[in-house]
Amino acid sequence: MNRNSRITDDDETPAVSNRHAQCIGSVVWPSFLGACLASLLFFGSFDPQPLASQLLGEDANRLAGYTLGFFFFWLISASASALTAYLLVTRPPPN
Amino acid sequence: MNPVRKTAPPETASLYIAHQKVHPREVTGRFNTLRVAATIGLLGVFYLLPWMRWDGRQAVLFDLPARQFHVLGLTFFPQDFFLLTWLLIIAALSLFFFTALAGRLWCGYACPQTVWTEAFVWMERLAEGNRQQRMRLDRSPWNANKLARKSAKQAMWIIFSLFTGFTFVGYFTPIHTLSQHVMDFSLGGWEAFWCLFYGFATYGNAGYMREQVCKYMCPYARFQGAMFDRDTLIISYDAKRGDPRGSRARGVDPRSQGLGDCVDCTLCVQACPTGIDIRDGLQLECIACAACIDACDSVMDRLSYPRGLIRYTTQNAMDQRPSKVLRPRMMIYAALLGALVIGFAFSVAGRDLVELDVLRDRNALYRQIDINTIENVYTVRLVNKDNREHQLELVAEGLPGVVVDTDTPWHTVGGTEVLSVPVRIQVPASAVSGGKDIYITARSSDGRIEVRTKARFIAPVAP
Repeated sequence: MNRNSRITDDDETPAVSNRHAQCIGSVVWPSFLGACLASLLFFGSFDPQPLASQLLGEDANRLAGYTLGFFFFWLISASASALTAYLLVTRPPPN
Repeated sequence: MNPVRKTAPPETASLYIAHQKVHPREVTGRFNTLRVAATIGLLGVFYLLPWMRWDGRQAVLFDLPARQFHVLGLTFFPQDFFLLTWLLIIAALSLFFFTALAGRLWCGYACPQTVWTEAFVWMERLAEGNRQQRMRLDRSPWNANKLARKSAKQAMWIIFSLFTGFTFVGYFTPIHTLSQHVMDFSLGGWEAFWCLFYGFATYGNAGYMREQVCKYMCPYARFQGAMFDRDTLIISYDAKRGDPRGSRARGVDPRSQGLGDCVDCTLCVQACPTGIDIRDGLQLECIACAACIDACDSVMDRLSYPRGLIRYTTQNAMDQRPSKVLRPRMMIYAALLGALVIGFAFSVAGRDLVELDVLRDRNALYRQIDINTIENVYTVRLVNKDNREHQLELVAEGLPGVVVDTDTPWHTVGGTEVLSVPVRIQVPASAVSGGKDIYITARSSDGRIEVRTKARFIAPVAP
């Protein structure tokens, strides 16, 4: 039984391993914070308008530029976080 | 037949505890009242602020499409970016200050994760009943009652989340236009995307992730311990008074039975939103919401024992040593915080109402107008950060005989507008050789505004 058993004493929720959810959480969340910071710094100095019109055509607005930029930063930082998480996975010891 | 050989589970057992949903028990008491008040206050501010008006425009609007931030009567431009950085530093330092003083006040009362979780648990309670009823409902097979209750909960959660997403976007695009677009189903694709995205994040975090965000994802939860010392306010179980724990008959003196004041009713554990037992000591998972204090106090009241078996205290007080509020750490944090806040206030108040950017014409270094005159061409951007219109003239100085030539002598820049003015600056050829610095000044007609910036004037090198 796990440590929490007495807390949810009469709760028979099946004990599904939560590891993957936590792994995803620790990749997605810090990279989200990183993407926020990067967007803030980048768009503090650069206007997203030319970026948006170059990528999506002339009628694209600034909001599109901000969105693309933010998700681009998030993708980059999430890749770095994911790689870190992948490298940190401990191998089972040899038999 | 080959017997199927079961492989033994690997030696490296998972370090993660399987997650079980925490059903916090509802409590009433002083701290619960305070927490509910904080929830209502903070959510009230969040949902109402975008609807407030100031001088005929949305009072708080981080107008991303226009790249202007309106906060009450002030307008900020991307050029004021350092103020935002400054504000973030102040926020971080305040967090350190209050953590050192009173522990995880932020986590227990003010963090959006706590506040929205509180709201979502309230809705869950509305649809599914109290803790016992919720746990029974979760265990029961699917039937009409379960379907109805779960659907009601989901409906409330989804509507509330969507409204949250809409409000969030309302901070970045004018909310009146936004609501108009929602009403007639003409919401732009990007706005719709962000409403859904933020709504979904709220739904997931407050509906499902809850205490797991604090336990596994929050960086502050990991490093807040570094700000703690023996005088920091923590929530603690008084083991000296409470142990040994055990149930007893009403009206019996516990000491005569060798018992402490804790009746081991586990109400403190049931009330905990992160599912820990505070009696095990201070833990990383404790968000200092004080729900266990309220739960324990209610039991102490019923037994006519003094309150405070679980209470806000300090490590020093628990060890019967005096607690100090004024200690070097607090004074350093307070001094830094004070200096930053004063500096911030001064730099906001003393902000130039007009900003001047001078860009050199990239096509030609200089032009020879006639035998005696050299001309340089610039584009001057006049950024009016004021909400009023201003009439501005441009003058140059720094070289003998320097003259500014523009199409009109006065330039009218509307409130919070940017005007680009082509400017020709002429200097007698005899007065300049090679590159020299000049100063361009923008002056308002009423004399209240005068901003100056440096520019480079380039002329042929005299033989």
